[in-house]
Amino acid sequence: MSKSSHDFAHTHVQGLSEFVDDRPIMRGELFMDVVYSTHAHAKIKVDASEALKDPEVVAVYTAKDVHHNLWGTIFKDQPVLADGVVQFAGEPIALVVAKDTISAQYAKQKVKITYEDLPSILSINEAKKHQSFIADKRFIERGDVKAAFKKAKHKLSGEIVIQGADHFYLESQVTVAYPQEDGQIEIHTSSQHPTETQHVVAHSLGLDAKDVVVQVKRMGGGFGGKESQAAPFAAMAALAAKNLNRPVRLCLTKDDDMVMTGKRNPFQNLYNVAFDDDGVIDGLEVELYSDGGAYADLSTSIMERAMLHSDNAYFIPNMKVSGQVCKTHHHPHTAFRGFGGPKGVATAEIIIEKIAHHLGLDPLIIRKRNIYRDENNRNTTHYGQVFKNNCLPRLFDKIEKDCDYQKRRQDIEAFNKSNDQFVKGLSITPVKFGISFTTRFLNQANALVIVHLDGSLQIATGATEMGQGVNARISAMVTSELGLERDQARVMPTRTDKNANTSPTAASSGTDLNGAAALLATRKIKYRLSEFASLLLELPSDRWPSKTAGLGTEAEITLKNKNLDSNDPNEGADWLSGKADYFDIKFVGGEVLKGSKKIKFADLVREAYLSRIALSDYAHYSIPGIEFNKLSGEGNAFLYFTQGVACSEVELNRDTGELKVRQVDILMDLGRPVNKDLDIGQVSGAFIQGMGWVTMENLVYNDQGYLLSHAPSTYKIPNIQDTPRVFNIELLENEENYANVRGTKAVGEPPLLLAISTWTAINNALSYISKDYPNIKIPATNEEVLKAMYPSKFAQWSK
Amino acid sequence: MRNKIVFYLNGKRHSVGATEASMMLSDYLRYDQGLTGTKVVCAEGDCGACSVLRFFPHAKGVDWQNYIPVNSCITQVATLDGSSLLTVEALKDNDRLHEAQRAMVDCHGSQCGFCTPGFVVTLGGLVEEKISKNEKTITEQEAKNCLTGNLCRCTGYQGIIDAAVSVDLKIEKSLKSRYFDKDQEKDLVDTFNTPVEIKHDDFIFFAPKTIKEACTFLENNPDCRIIASSTDLGVVHNKRRLKLEKLLSLHLIPELYQIVGNDQVSLGARVTHTEFRHFIKDTMPEIAHYLDLFASPQIKNLATVVGNVATASPIGDTPPVFLALDAKLVLASSSGERVVNISDFFLDYRKTLRKPNEIIVRIEFDLPKKSTLKAIKNSNRKDLDISAVNMVMNIEMDSAKVVKEIRLAAGGIAAIPLRLKKTEDSLRGQKLDKKSIEAALSLVHSEFNPLSDLRASSAYRRIVVENSLSRFLHEEAAK
Repeated sequence: MSKSSHDFAHTHVQGLSEFVDDRPIMRGELFMDVVYSTHAHAKIKVDASEALKDPEVVAVYTAKDVHHNLWGTIFKDQPVLADGVVQFAGEPIALVVAKDTISAQYAKQKVKITYEDLPSILSINEAKKHQSFIADKRFIERGDVKAAFKKAKHKLSGEIVIQGADHFYLESQVTVAYPQEDGQIEIHTSSQHPTETQHVVAHSLGLDAKDVVVQVKRMGGGFGGKESQAAPFAAMAALAAKNLNRPVRLCLTKDDDMVMTGKRNPFQNLYNVAFDDDGVIDGLEVELYSDGGAYADLSTSIMERAMLHSDNAYFIPNMKVSGQVCKTHHHPHTAFRGFGGPKGVATAEIIIEKIAHHLGLDPLIIRKRNIYRDENNRNTTHYGQVFKNNCLPRLFDKIEKDCDYQKRRQDIEAFNKSNDQFVKGLSITPVKFGISFTTRFLNQANALVIVHLDGSLQIATGATEMGQGVNARISAMVTSELGLERDQARVMPTRTDKNANTSPTAASSGTDLNGAAALLATRKIKYRLSEFASLLLELPSDRWPSKTAGLGTEAEITLKNKNLDSNDPNEGADWLSGKADYFDIKFVGGEVLKGSKKIKFADLVREAYLSRIALSDYAHYSIPGIEFNKLSGEGNAFLYFTQGVACSEVELNRDTGELKVRQVDILMDLGRPVNKDLDIGQVSGAFIQGMGWVTMENLVYNDQGYLLSHAPSTYKIPNIQDTPRVFNIELLENEENYANVRGTKAVGEPPLLLAISTWTAINNALSYISKDYPNIKIPATNEEVLKAMYPSKFAQWSK
Repeated sequence: MRNKIVFYLNGKRHSVGATEASMMLSDYLRYDQGLTGTKVVCAEGDCGACSVLRFFPHAKGVDWQNYIPVNSCITQVATLDGSSLLTVEALKDNDRLHEAQRAMVDCHGSQCGFCTPGFVVTLGGLVEEKISKNEKTITEQEAKNCLTGNLCRCTGYQGIIDAAVSVDLKIEKSLKSRYFDKDQEKDLVDTFNTPVEIKHDDFIFFAPKTIKEACTFLENNPDCRIIASSTDLGVVHNKRRLKLEKLLSLHLIPELYQIVGNDQVSLGARVTHTEFRHFIKDTMPEIAHYLDLFASPQIKNLATVVGNVATASPIGDTPPVFLALDAKLVLASSSGERVVNISDFFLDYRKTLRKPNEIIVRIEFDLPKKSTLKAIKNSNRKDLDISAVNMVMNIEMDSAKVVKEIRLAAGGIAAIPLRLKKTEDSLRGQKLDKKSIEAALSLVHSEFNPLSDLRASSAYRRIVVENSLSRFLHEEAAK
């Protein structure tokens, strides 16, 4: 295994990594399937009598069987099982438990649901018309927008339509619930948020948290789709397991998972922008509207992040952003990599494009004129946070040179003049992604580090592994602090009985939060071992505890100093190595050194144990300095910003609207990565995922809001042929992110937003063949592209 | 006569009855055999997570005979009778990771790990093919073509591509040398020579040795389904809308594996898309490229061409090919054979001229010698996506640009795969020039009235047909 590999890559490739549904089937285990609504909004009656006649069926459960039926991360407004009324097509109604999976799947067809339809709202426009909203409209405002528009030389306005997207984690929602003695229950599930799953299970079943243990070993992908939405499925399996006192497995089919679970929130945003002859923006008004679906889920927080990212990378002196979540009868939309950010950023980028088109300038010029800069006080965001360690000017200068932008722009112009079958477009867009949960209390983590007597380590944190490599990064931080190889530590499955009250592994924060906590716990152990080593190494080795303690011939070595207590993972650490040393003791290459004296790490551990020194420790970490006032819309929302730029070159087929992404160059500032290889994997994965969202992933619903494209045969995520023909990823050198643990930067979400460059490149290509700047929606499917090319023909044939 | 299905799995002989034979292979692997490395995501053959390798020593007409990737999620165990199968668990060679595995680790081709076994197995199939041909490298394009049928949501594929091209073919041993030997071969030949009849309350599976016996069975069991490899019906079965429980399989009839002929080609009912593509790659490269976009390698390694025609989907990708080639279908029944022109075969949505007691035993067509073919497959995603519109156009002109023969076939625009006969008529005998092309383009829309559905709107389909026809005719006129 190479040093930078994912910690379980070697078992992944052998098919030996255990996912939840790979767990052996236990004696007496039962299998569940979920009956869900096919109507948007209706009163329902449930008749399970036919299903119950099936000899393979053991039980059917409905809302009345749930102890507390309402759950929700922010507002407890969503039933685990619909009670008398359904609010979206796909809403769970009844649970069928059978002796095997296939029987459950057939039996659920026998549960009869009678619907009495109620009026439904299936779009943002309808919701606005009926004032159907979730929570109040929110505002962020800076400067005097009215005055800016009054004196503006140029004004533009418009609307941008952004569809949702399915997470398409390969492993569907899945849980096995095991009843245990004395009313306890153990849940094995695929969740980004074991703590919330534990709480929802306990609440739904009327149990204490102490009686519910949730374990997440790994997920087959999450991307936000298992942040809140894993919990109710765990509660469903747990409900049957508790009632029947038998293990119960619920593993959704891809089709059912896609129909039932919420997606990336669709947005429909309005904007007015005021700018001067140079394209410098003076005033901007943005009204964001999202489709929250039938229940609140995380939509209000997602909207908040969209509002905080409506500036993207641009300094806008006078700016007003409003955000309103609409309540519709769609599946409750939820977190998805980027969490609202992409919808704010796409809006900012289309505004830039339109300004450039209006002034007849290259959009790159407009971008560079508007980005945040330290000069002239253009470095404060619209919510009043000073933007420190701004790399944007460097990023723009470097990518423009590295990807040969100006030459390619000329080539494309020549190509587009001479070719009647294809048209090309080119675009660079930036991202400045705020890192931290915008909800302050979530910015905390805890970790347990155990050193065993042979010198090997186990680490337990609240972080969940979904392929992003959080385990590999945490173990690298911990072992390097102790001068050990990474494979000397194992990060254990996430369990709520080891790490409680944890935050979801979300907001790109997994390593920042949990890595910091694990490092703090490690330093406590290191501090004790250092003091111990400083005393031990002064003694001749024949007087060490291993030679004398059993005989009781020597006094025990005791530590004089109090335990280390710190909330800052960079405190006392050498900035370049990231390591902290205590008592002049160094941990290097599996050895512990005091000047010229040394002892093997494992031997030191053994001597420390015999001297009754604690070899395990626990630490809690909370991010300092997060003080964003949600009511006033002001404050330091983020610890720091991850930044990057990408250049996309696309080619469109003028006969069919088909897209080819010819080249993508990405340049990112990721601070000083713990694991560069894994970071680059995050960049390429996030970019392609974003590219799918802006180009081909098309959620199609029927008139009941029932998702028709609910499988990979109809919902197309990028495949290997869609990876750009040329795909370059480079990282900027940045040693100066002092805010975060070891100068690293979070990487999970930000590169997804760079895929907006592919969408603006499509717009750019279209602008060569149509007079008006295209107002193409996201996703820019073949059909949308062709429609932009032949508006009158489409009008003719759509009559 | 046998009442067992026989196959080898990771080198071990399996002989199973109705219960196991009626399962999908992925269920058999995961829940019966505890081989949970094989994953199921979509259960419809679109993601490749369930990929396993299959070697089928009885196939004809191919010049490679290796373990090749197939989807286990939509493949019923019964249809794998006579096969030798390998799962991801078989790849590691004692303590040494297979090169496909080693490379995926070292190049970070695996993140969450759920799709990984499928990628490793499929790449393992490419390694196997390369070793058998004694080739030394895997190119980026070969890697992409091989892995078209595998979806990954984490990596963006770059790490996987890097892994594939970094495979060291020189150090890898062929899986065939590790898992297939003379004894197994002899056993599978014996298996192949013995007809199968499984009769169980919930599952009937009949596999005769001759077409005649198959016809007799069909005559007596008109409600039974003819099954090849269940790549189509397996999906419907998995969605619980149909039970695959009364089946006739033609897999033991050797002549149906044949694809032969230099000018006139005869393509048997058991010929897969992979074999078809291989056979026509030099004579009809446009169609070979078109088939590259269609379905996944895993599907094409199993799915028969005749099955794709017989299912009569209006968006099937091979019917327009055969319509443009003016192919003939040969149907057999207990009263003998009859020949049907393919342009008469499709009657209405999923309705054909085939009677319940008939079997399509082969397709016959002439290779185009003097004409020009062009094939267009248009879909939301370029590769492995069901077409919104597909078109195959075949034109023959004399030196004065007068159209001697033209056949225009399209799918996705009507209830059946359609010949655009009025448009053809307007061009036949005419000089191909601006005037005749414009006349054809103004006529073409009157020949069809497409639906709007989740793949495309009616207007989109119309404009794509018009644009594609226009470009084809203008290109030909300008030649």
